[in-house]
Formats: sequence, C-alpha cells, structure tokens
Amino acid sequence: MTTTTIGRRQKKPHSSNVRAARLSEVRFIVLLLLPGTALLVGVVLYPLLRSLASAFFAESLLYPGATWVGLQNVIDVLQDGFAELLSQTLIFTIGATIVPFIVGLALALVLNEQFRGQRFLRGAFLIPWLIPGVVVSFLWMWIFDANYGVLNGVLMQLHLIDTPIAWLFNTDTARGALIIAKSWNSFPWVMVMLLAALQTVPGELHEAAAMDGAGPIRRFFAVTWPHIAGVAGLVILLEFIWNFQHFDTIFVLTGGGPAGTTQTFATEVYDTAFKGYDLGHAGALGLLWMGLLLILVVVYVRFSERGEK
Amino acid sequence: MTAQLSRRDMFRYSAVGLGGIALAGLATGCAPVAAGGGSATKAPPAGPTNFDFVSWGMSEEATKPALQASVNAFAKKDAIEIATSSYPFNDYLNQLTLQVRGGQFTGAAQLDVAWLSSLAALGKLDDLGAKAEGRGYTDAALQAGQIDGKQFGLPWTIAAIGLVSNTELFDKAGVSQAPATIEEFEDALTAIKGLGGGIVPYAASTKTAQLKDILVWMQTFGSPIIDGEKCTIGDAESIAAVTWYKKLFDAGLIAPDVDRAAARALFSQGKTAIYDDAPVARASVLKASPDASLGGKMAPIARPVKKAGDTPQELLWGHLLVVVDGKGADTAGDFAQWMTSDPAQTISYFTALGLPPTTEEALASSAVSGNVFVDAFTANITKDAKASPLWKYVQYGQMETAIAEQVQAVLIGSASPKDAMKAAGQKVQSLIG
Repeated sequence: MTTTTIGRRQKKPHSSNVRAARLSEVRFIVLLLLPGTALLVGVVLYPLLRSLASAFFAESLLYPGATWVGLQNVIDVLQDGFAELLSQTLIFTIGATIVPFIVGLALALVLNEQFRGQRFLRGAFLIPWLIPGVVVSFLWMWIFDANYGVLNGVLMQLHLIDTPIAWLFNTDTARGALIIAKSWNSFPWVMVMLLAALQTVPGELHEAAAMDGAGPIRRFFAVTWPHIAGVAGLVILLEFIWNFQHFDTIFVLTGGGPAGTTQTFATEVYDTAFKGYDLGHAGALGLLWMGLLLILVVVYVRFSERGEK
Repeated sequence: MTAQLSRRDMFRYSAVGLGGIALAGLATGCAPVAAGGGSATKAPPAGPTNFDFVSWGMSEEATKPALQASVNAFAKKDAIEIATSSYPFNDYLNQLTLQVRGGQFTGAAQLDVAWLSSLAALGKLDDLGAKAEGRGYTDAALQAGQIDGKQFGLPWTIAAIGLVSNTELFDKAGVSQAPATIEEFEDALTAIKGLGGGIVPYAASTKTAQLKDILVWMQTFGSPIIDGEKCTIGDAESIAAVTWYKKLFDAGLIAPDVDRAAARALFSQGKTAIYDDAPVARASVLKASPDASLGGKMAPIARPVKKAGDTPQELLWGHLLVVVDGKGADTAGDFAQWMTSDPAQTISYFTALGLPPTTEEALASSAVSGNVFVDAFTANITKDAKASPLWKYVQYGQMETAIAEQVQAVLIGSASPKDAMKAAGQKVQSLIG
C-alpha cells in the first residue's frame, strides 16, 4: 500500500489505543485542512459546479426556477456558431501568444548582453505588465479610436493617411488591435522568463561555438535554443491557456464586435448570461469551454512532469 | 505529532467531500429559486429607516453633484442614512439585475423606462400605486412606470431621444432650416461634410451599445417593428432603412466607433452637427465643451420623415424610481415619491440638470416653461414620442443586441441589408416565442 507519511516515520501501530490515537490525529489533520478546503469549495468548486449544472437546465437570470433539459443546451450551442466561436477564440489566442513570445524573446536576447543602461531597460520593460489589464485596454481604446484616437492623429500628421481609419470597426484590424493590446500587456512576463533561462546558458559554449566559426544565428539555434527550449515551451503553453480564457481586453476594446467577429468564449459566455439572461446556454458554452481547457491543462501537466524528469 | 494517511484515505475523504459538493451544486441548480417577494405583506416600520439607493447618475460627473445634494437633503430631512452606489449606464441593468436576483440589493433604484419589464420580471419590485396617488403626475408619465396596471416605477423624468443640432455648423454649411424629409436631411449632411476639418455631419450610433437608435429610423421608413406578436424586421421598410444607413456610412456622413458618449464628445468639441440624445445631454455636453457659447447653438429638431406630411417618429425616454422590496423599502418608497413629485425638489432638480419633471405642477412652473431648450425639445420631439415596441418584452435587451449586431454586419460589409435584417427578424421572433 502506498502511504503518505506526515512527520517522522513510525512503526505501523497495532494496538487499539494506538489506532484511536491515530484516528484522532487524522481528524486533527482534516481539521487543519478544513479552512483551506472550505475556501476552495466556496469560492471555486461551488460556483463552478453550480454554473456547470446550469448547462442541463433551461434557466433564466430573470425568472425563478429551472427545468431539466438534458443535453439540449449543449446541442444548441454546438449547432449555433460554435465552430466560428472556436475559430475566433483560436485566432486571438494564437496571435496573442506568438506576438509577445517573439517580442519577449528578442528583448530577452538583447537584455542578456552587457551594455550601458541594461539594468534600467530590464526594469522599464516590466511596466506594461504591472498595469492592470482593464487600464491597458482603455489606453489602447484611446489609441485606436477612429474619431479621436492617437494613432490616427499621428498617421495623419505624418501624411500617411488622409482620413481616419476605423481600427476597431473592421474585422481584421480589430483582431490585430486586440492582439497588439494584449501582447503589450504580456510580453514583459515572457521576456523575464526567457531572460532567466538565457542566464543559465554556459558562456563557454558560446565561446567554443564562436571559435569554431559559428555566427550569431547558428549559435542561437545550436547553443541557446536547446537550453531555453523547455522554458520557452512552458511559457508558450501557459500564455496559450491564459489567452484562451482572456476576457478584459476584448470586453473593453471591442466588446466582441464589430458584428461579433472578435467574440471569444469568454465574452460570449458573459453576453449569453448577462445580456441574454440565458444561464442554461451560458452554462453549456462554459462546459464545452472548460472541456477544451482541460485538454490544455493535461498537456501542461504532462509537459511539467517531463520537465521535472 | 505523527499520523499516517494512506493515499487511499486521502482519496476517500476527497471523494466524499467532492461528492457532497457536487450534490449540493446540482441540487441548487435544480432547485427553484424563490419567487419574488415584492408583494409580501409585512408591517412597515414605525418611522423612517435607512435604505440603499443605486443609480447610474452618481457615476456621471454632470449629474452626480445635483443627485448627491438631493439624496443628502432627503436623508437630512428624515434624519436617516442613505447608502449610495452606482454603475455606469451601459453596465447598469446587468449589475442591478444580478444584485436584485441574488437578494443583495433592496431599496430605491434609478431605472431607464426601457428596462422596467426586465427588472419587474424578477418579481421583487414593490407596487408603488399608493405612493403615486394624489401626487399630480401626468397620465403619460404614470403609464411609463406601469406594467399590467401595477405602478412599479414612479416617473422621475420623461422626455424623448431626438436629434440635437448645432445651428452654427448648419449656418456655415448654408443650411438655413432644419431638414424635414430624409432627402433634405441627406442634402444637409452632405453640405455639412463639405465644411471639412474632420467634421462628422451626423454622429449616429454605430457601436452596438446604442445602435438600437436604428429602430426609430426603421419606423421612419415605415416598418412597425412589431405587428401583433410578429416581428416585422426583415420587411422592405426595415431593409430600406438599413440600406440608407449604410449609404450614409459609406459616404462618410456618419462615422464608425460612435456611441452616445462619443457623440456627446464630438458635439461638445464642435466636431459634429447632429446627434441623437435626450434633454439630459445638454448639461454634460456644455460641461465638456471648450465653447462657452455652445448652449445657444444647441437646437432640438424633429426627426425627418420619409415623405412630407408624415408624423416624425420619436422614441420615448425617461427615468423611473423603483423600489426593490426588503430592508428599508417603505422609506425608499417615500424617497422615490419625494424625488419625483415634491414641488420644490422637482423644480430645483430640473434647474440643476434640465431634466423635465413629471408632475403637472412642476411642468407648469416658470422654471420649466421658461427653459428655451426644453421647451423646444418638447415642442419638436417629445410631443411625438412613443415607447419602443420591444420594451414590453423581458428579452428586449437581447433583441436590441441581435438587431444591432446585424446592422453592424451591414456597416462593415459582411452581410447584405436583406440577409442581415432577415436574420435579425428571425432572432427577435424566436425571442418573442
């Protein structure tokens, strides 16, 4: 039998007194676990199960009561634009994962070199990460606004455009704007993680490769990348998971528009529940969304375990 | 202390715990939520009590000082405390619905007339019929707060959402009088665009939050929106209205990314000649404008009609005060009554914000009748105002969003007006049931 031992290992108890003492100690441990468990149950598990249960009921936010409908809500959701929603979510997720990764990696490589002002830049580049997501979103909304946005103002001053561009009112530019805004917020985290990994790469390997005539690109792929690949993979996976469930930038910047073309699972669940008052379909969408997230979490756990080994 | 817990023990404890949680969760999911207690009978407290008041007015810079002063005056009069909270207008209904449904809010609440059906469906609003008796409200105002004969809301201000113009820009563009027909309206917008300088001739709503404004244009083109219990969106008239809107958009006569707040900002900066708003706009627009004389240039104009002789289509607009049953509800009802019908209070509130009152006495006062802007607004717009045919449906918010998204699809060119309006009509019909 596999056992978990807490404290110093003891001989296996046999007498009834020892068994009673052991049971009371078990109870004591359970008591210690109770506050944390209660918090987990109250704040995470109960709301989660409650909302997942909604998936199987016809339930409105406005009317009391709920009627069992089995899998009908799930079927409705799958038949009503689910593929489109998944594709829109993936476009945002992939874009908002790749862009900050490239920017973060480039900056990490630069900041890993010794030069004047390097320490200052390491700190300065962290600022976007320290600003709350909602504030970042409003900042970018001000930049991208068609009528009084900074970006149009600058482009018009430079005579690059004659009339303002409606960045958030065109499907492609709205998607691009969302990815840029989210990437601006998250690239510092990627940069810090990769910078930490880069500092574990032995300098001698670079020197040896350079002596063998390897240029910077060859050295990056032959020496640097193999050392940081594990961290890079983890960073990409975590960014992907976070972006897959991201809400605030999309909600503030486009609200899922124009015409629902930047809607993702997160904003659609919100709209269905709180604008459509339809808890049943929101729950069904949440159920499917969570199923997809669980796949990503399993990949993450496997990846972490492989890293530990 | 030493204890040995086998992994199986841990799993057993966890399984029991999680099973219990799951059952509790499912049971709650299945359990019917308690019906509203709005009509529950219980003895009111002997004297005034503390209560909560929620509004969006407190979150807006232009209205907060006057509203706070009114709240303070009532609290002082009855020696009570009123706890105030606020949410921005666009999130207000969602937040209030959640609070009321969850039993976390009781007391007085500001409400848009369009939201009464949705909130009343929760079954927690008090019938304020007794509070309305003998207070001198106009019949039209009282009706705005009624559902099936029950007075769920006391009318606070009633007017309309109509077109507000900048006469200076009209003059500069050579438009000497307000356009009366769609054709004249288009000509006027084209002339205003000719002024250049990045002026948006008509700051019509193009963001989903206020794209519901398109409904009144559909009515102008002759679509009733709802006929009996049938949604008519998708008919030739609604398609013609959206085709026209798209034409204005493509010609740069209306602009992308505009909602009410953006339109007010453009108007206050002299960057648009016309936009849709209620009389409440005047205070916030003037406060934000660098042009001290803008007030004298603001003129409410009747919405153009399809052909000369038609009656202009205007949308009723107004605020109610409702009372959510529970702690402090009786005093909250008194507060609602005082705010909406006390002669001194209603006139001082009107003087501060220009929000038309709802009692005969206040409307006849010199303060109201002598206000040029409100007088013109009433004469040109409010006199023709009607409630939206969608307001009677609890799902009206969902309906307006569905229509707005389809109109937006037309504007960005991803759907034809015909297909988009057909889809919108089907969605609305499915919500009607």
